Amino acid sequence: MAQDESRAETGRAGREAAAERAAIAVRPGEFRRGPSGKREKVFELKGAGVSYGGVTAVRDISMDIHRNDVTAMIGPSGCGKSTLLRCLNRMNDLIPGAEVQGELLYHGEDLYGQTVDPVQVRKLIGMVFQKPNPFPKSIYDNVAFGPRVLGHKENLDQTVEEALRGAALWDEVKDRLDDNAFGLSGGQQQRLCIARCIAVNPDTILMDEPCSALDPISTGKIEDLMIELKKEFSIVIVTHNMQQAARVSDRTAFLMVELDAEEDNRWGRLVEYDETEKIFTNPTDQRTEDYVSGKVG
Amino acid sequence: MVEQTRVHYQEELEKLETSALGGLDLVSSALSRTLEAIEHQDVELAQLVIADDDRIDGRYLEVHQALITLLATQSPVATDLRLISALLHVLKNVERMGDQCVNICKMIPLTGNEPPADEEMVKLILTMGRQARTLISQAQRAFAERNVEMARDLVRQDDVVDNLNRQCFGLALEIGDDPDRREWAMTMLLAARAIERIGDNAVDIGEQVAFVVTGLFREFEDASHPNE
Repeated sequence: MAQDESRAETGRAGREAAAERAAIAVRPGEFRRGPSGKREKVFELKGAGVSYGGVTAVRDISMDIHRNDVTAMIGPSGCGKSTLLRCLNRMNDLIPGAEVQGELLYHGEDLYGQTVDPVQVRKLIGMVFQKPNPFPKSIYDNVAFGPRVLGHKENLDQTVEEALRGAALWDEVKDRLDDNAFGLSGGQQQRLCIARCIAVNPDTILMDEPCSALDPISTGKIEDLMIELKKEFSIVIVTHNMQQAARVSDRTAFLMVELDAEEDNRWGRLVEYDETEKIFTNPTDQRTEDYVSGKVG
Repeated sequence: MVEQTRVHYQEELEKLETSALGGLDLVSSALSRTLEAIEHQDVELAQLVIADDDRIDGRYLEVHQALITLLATQSPVATDLRLISALLHVLKNVERMGDQCVNICKMIPLTGNEPPADEEMVKLILTMGRQARTLISQAQRAFAERNVEMARDLVRQDDVVDNLNRQCFGLALEIGDDPDRREWAMTMLLAARAIERIGDNAVDIGEQVAFVVTGLFREFEDASHPNE
């Protein structure tokens, strides 16, 4: 067959075809095209920061978070990655003394604008926490909770089934929807929380160390799920597990702790934000390199 | 029932293996054209092989980078780690085999339009080339099927190439006193040497098959200690 091919490509037509292929051949530096080229931005952070009671926790964060990406935030303890994540659906509003500085745009609109309803924000931007936190109710009622609160009472069975399927849990629980959610394993409970989150049809899911309380198999399932979910939702995940960020995310933000001259005050700062592949194979900043290679913690 | 996790990673790894082994198809095609260019003294076809080597190099760059990314992001272990390590070797072999075809094709214009060719020597070189092409497909199949026996058999197949190469050398020694004819014979010896190296690269791929399957790397034949 190879011989036939070679004959077919001799002569002028063959040479032209070869020249065309040579022209489109991958050249060094061109082969790495990230999964997110020019894409719709979900969040735009411009000089964003957070302080608690006047003490700065994170400052000067400028980054864009793209639609249908898994965006990971990594960094040592206390670098403010969870604080930053909680800003994205106004969870910090619930903490007295918390104040957000800079600009945080959500689909181009000021997330902290005067007319913005934080409850509506949290419907559109759901959150999954470190420890699975199902309600002390049946599996069905856990998933139906959000839609019921929002007054969506029609087709509730269908909504629950779709959410459980979306969270890759349906096959495991379809015969025991009335059982108490506490009877599920930790990994199943976490997927139930993801189902509860997607039942209200959000646009973005924030995940704060969603696998740190889970065993490796459950972790694998949640990670597979994230890759499926990003087809429909945008996901932002905070993780202390660098390898998890490497495995699941499209883009990674590395934050680290910065100290003032007297070393009295410390705050988190964004060091590097790029495609995950770049962060883990050829980061631009030496501090990122030192952190991802485990030389500093 | 054990459910499979990390499905996307597995799919990506399979895809990269297919892509790396597909590089051998590109090489096989380049070698076929190279042989045709030698047979018919086809300078244009030789130029085409040289230009088309960009595809092989592109495949190398693309898959190499993706494998490095997989290493950095997916923490492969055990068989997966051996597979990725082996694929990096295979890619290098593919790239080298492509370059050997280019080396041969660069020599074709040097021999002139109507070279003082020795028919018997051309015949030997073409037989060598076809044998090397058989080695390439066998190496590819052995890798895809993880067949160590088939991989080991590459040594036997490569001996045929080596023998033909020695015969070429013998013919060149007896080519006569005509300077043009001697120059042509020297050039053809370089071409034979390049084909012989393609065979060696195929055997190297076979050694990687054994490494993936057994976890032990052993050269099938140690060139520096041939009698051990």
